[in-house]
Amino acid sequence: MRTLCLLVPVALAFLAGCEPDPGAGKTRIRYMAWGNPEALDLEQRLCDEFNARNPDIHVSFLKVPQSAYLNKAIVMFASRTAPDVVRIDHFNFPSLVRKDYFLNLSPLIARDPEFKSTDYFPATLDEGRYKGDIFGMNVLFGAILIYYNKTMFQKAGLEDPYELYRKGEWTYERMRQSAIRLSKTDQNGRPTQFGLILPPWPLTVPIVWAFGGEVLSPDMTQSRLDSPGTAKAFQFLTDLRWKDKASPTPSQAANSAFPFESGKVGMEFNWMGQSVRYRKVATSFEWDVVPVPRGPAGNPTILKGNQLVIYRETRQPEAAWRFVKFITGDYVERLLYVQRRRSFPTRKAIAGSKEFLETKERPFNTKAFVDSIANGRPLPINHRWGEWTNASNAEIDALFSGRSRNAKAVMAEAHRKAAKVLADEEGF
Amino acid sequence: MASRLARHQARWGFAFILPWLLGFLIFTAGPMLASLYLSFTKYDLHSSQWVGTENYRRLFQEDPLFWKALDNTVRYAVFSVPLGVIGSLAIAILLNQNVRGQRLFRTLFYLPSLVPAVASALLWQWIFNADNGILNTALGVIGIAPIEWLQNEQWTLPAFVLMSLWGVGGGRMVIFLAGLQGIPDSYYEAARIDGASPWIQFRRVTLPMLSPVMFFNVILGVIGSFQIFTSSYIMTGGGPNNASLFYALYLFRNAFEYFKLGKASALAWVLFLILLVLTFIQFRMSKRWVYYEGATS
Repeated sequence: MRTLCLLVPVALAFLAGCEPDPGAGKTRIRYMAWGNPEALDLEQRLCDEFNARNPDIHVSFLKVPQSAYLNKAIVMFASRTAPDVVRIDHFNFPSLVRKDYFLNLSPLIARDPEFKSTDYFPATLDEGRYKGDIFGMNVLFGAILIYYNKTMFQKAGLEDPYELYRKGEWTYERMRQSAIRLSKTDQNGRPTQFGLILPPWPLTVPIVWAFGGEVLSPDMTQSRLDSPGTAKAFQFLTDLRWKDKASPTPSQAANSAFPFESGKVGMEFNWMGQSVRYRKVATSFEWDVVPVPRGPAGNPTILKGNQLVIYRETRQPEAAWRFVKFITGDYVERLLYVQRRRSFPTRKAIAGSKEFLETKERPFNTKAFVDSIANGRPLPINHRWGEWTNASNAEIDALFSGRSRNAKAVMAEAHRKAAKVLADEEGF
Repeated sequence: MASRLARHQARWGFAFILPWLLGFLIFTAGPMLASLYLSFTKYDLHSSQWVGTENYRRLFQEDPLFWKALDNTVRYAVFSVPLGVIGSLAIAILLNQNVRGQRLFRTLFYLPSLVPAVASALLWQWIFNADNGILNTALGVIGIAPIEWLQNEQWTLPAFVLMSLWGVGGGRMVIFLAGLQGIPDSYYEAARIDGASPWIQFRRVTLPMLSPVMFFNVILGVIGSFQIFTSSYIMTGGGPNNASLFYALYLFRNAFEYFKLGKASALAWVLFLILLVLTFIQFRMSKRWVYYEGATS
C-alpha cells in the first residue's frame, strides 16, 4: 500500500509532463542550427512549415547558442549522437568534412530528378565540395561589401560612392580621400566622426586581392602573406589609421564607441547579412551599400556561406535530404532572401528576379549585391584556418595597434608564423 | 561487539558519502586519469594515436607560445598574489575594527566578489577604456596622460593585476576576518600591559597568530592566479600580440578551438605539476614562518 501511495503521484507527475507526440508514426529527424532569437524563430517556422507540407516526416529543431555551437557539434559528431541535419559555418566545414562526419550528398543529388546544379551559383556548390563530391548545401551565402552613411556623404558634399561605382570611379584612393574628408574632431581635438572602420581579419582579404596580394597558395597549403601586394594592402590600411587618422584606433574604438549604426562612421566593410541588423538599428540616417572599391588588381571580394550537412550515420538519409532540399529550395530562398532579405540567394533565378532587385527596404542598391557575388572569390579557408590565422593575426596586430608602421616587415613575420603552423605536423 | 558497531557505522558512513564518492570517481578522478593517458596521444575527438612524450617535448622545445603563456601567467601571479593577500589582510583588519556600521561596511566590501566573472570583465573593460574610462579620467586629474591599458602590450599585464584587486574583499578577506576574530583578546591585553605599540602588537601578535590563515590564502591565491582565464578571454582574447595570453587560455584554445586534445591534456598536466611543486615548496618554506599554536616544534 505504501509503495502504491508513492508510485501513484510519481506516475501522475510523469503523465502530466507528457504531451501528445507530434512525430508519432512519422519518420523523425533532428535539425541543429544557431542564430539570434529572431533568426531562430524563423528557422522554427521553416521546420513547422516543412512538417505541415510533409505529413510523413517530423523535423524537430535543436537550437544551440552560437558561443557553444562548434563544441557541441563536434562532441555530438564524435560521440555519434549528432542530429540528422546540421548547419555548419564554412569556417569549420573544411576541418570537419575531412573527419568523415558528413554524408556524401552527390549520390542523393545524382538520383534526384528535381535537382539541377545549373540553378545555383557555382561558388555556392563549390564551397560544400570535398574531393569532387558535394557534402554540404549552401545557406546564408554572401559577400563582403561596403555599408556607407549616405546622409554623412551628402552633408560633406561628397559624391555618393554608388554613383562613383557606376561611373567606374570607385577606387581605394577615392575611398581614402572620402574617409579623410569625413573624419572630424571637436575643438579639443577629440574625434567625433570617422570616415571608415578598419576591417578586421578576414574582411581585409578583398583589399589584399585588390592590391594584387594573396593570403594562401592556390592549393591552400602554404602562406602567401609575404607577397608584395599583401604588404601594400596592409600598408594602405595602416596609413589610413595612423597617417590619415581616418579610422578609429583600437582605444578610440574600444567599448563600441564608433559602430556604424551610431551614425558617427562613414563607411564599413561587412557581410551582406549585416543589413538585417542595420535595418533595425541604423534608423537615424540614410545608408546603403556599394561593392568594395577597385584597386590595381580589380575589385574582387570574398564569398562565404554556411553549409547544411547530413550526418553520415543518419538512419533517415532520404528524409534528411528532403529537408535540406526544402531549406535550400525555391520557396524558402524566396522567403529568406526576397521577403526577409537575410543575405543572398544561392539560386541564380531568385537573385536575378525583379522581386529581389526591386526592393522597398534598405539597402536599395541591390545591384551592389549581385555585382559583388559576380566579382567574388571564395575565402580561402583550409582545415587549419583557426591556427594559422591566430598566429599571423598576433603579428598583424602590430600594424593596427600602432606598434609598427612598416607593413612589409610585419607581414614578413606574419608569413613566417603562418608558414610554421602550416608546415608543422597536424594535431600537435 | 564494538568492532561490529564500528563496521556497521563505517558501512553507513560509506553509504552516505557514496553519491559524492561516485561523482568524484566518475567526473573528477576518471577524467583526470583519462587526460593523463590522452597527454601521450594525438587526439582530436575523432581519432587518437599514441605519440609517447612527443606532446611534452614539443611544448618545451618547439612551442614559443607555451613559454609566452607561462611567462605571462607567472608574472601575473608574482604581482597579483602578494598584492591580493596584503590587500585582503588590510581590508580584514579595517573591517575588524569596532566602529559604527561595521556590518554594512563588511557587506559593501564583499559585494564586488558577488558580481559574475563575465560581468566584472565587461565592467573593467569600461574602467580601462583609454578615452572615456574612469581610471584614465582619475589619472588625468593628477596629470597622468591617458594609458592604453588593454591596447598597449606593455600595459596589459599591469591592467590584469590591477583588476585582480577587485576580488580583495571576497572570500579571502572573510577567511582573514575569521582568523582575526580567533585571536584571543588576552594576547593583545598582555602586549599592551608590556607597553607594545599597535605596530608591535600587529607584528608580534596578529601576524604570527594569523600565519596559518595567510599560508592557506597564499596557496589558494597561487593556484587561483595560475588559472586566470575569464577576464583575458572576454576582455582581450589574449592580445595584443599575446600579451595577455595566459596559460589557461592557451590550454582552452588548444582544446576547444584547435581540438588538439592531446596537447591540451599535456598542458593541463604540466600546470598540475607546476602547482604541485609550488605548493610543496610553500609547505617546506612554511615551517620557517607559519606558527601553529599548540604544535610541538
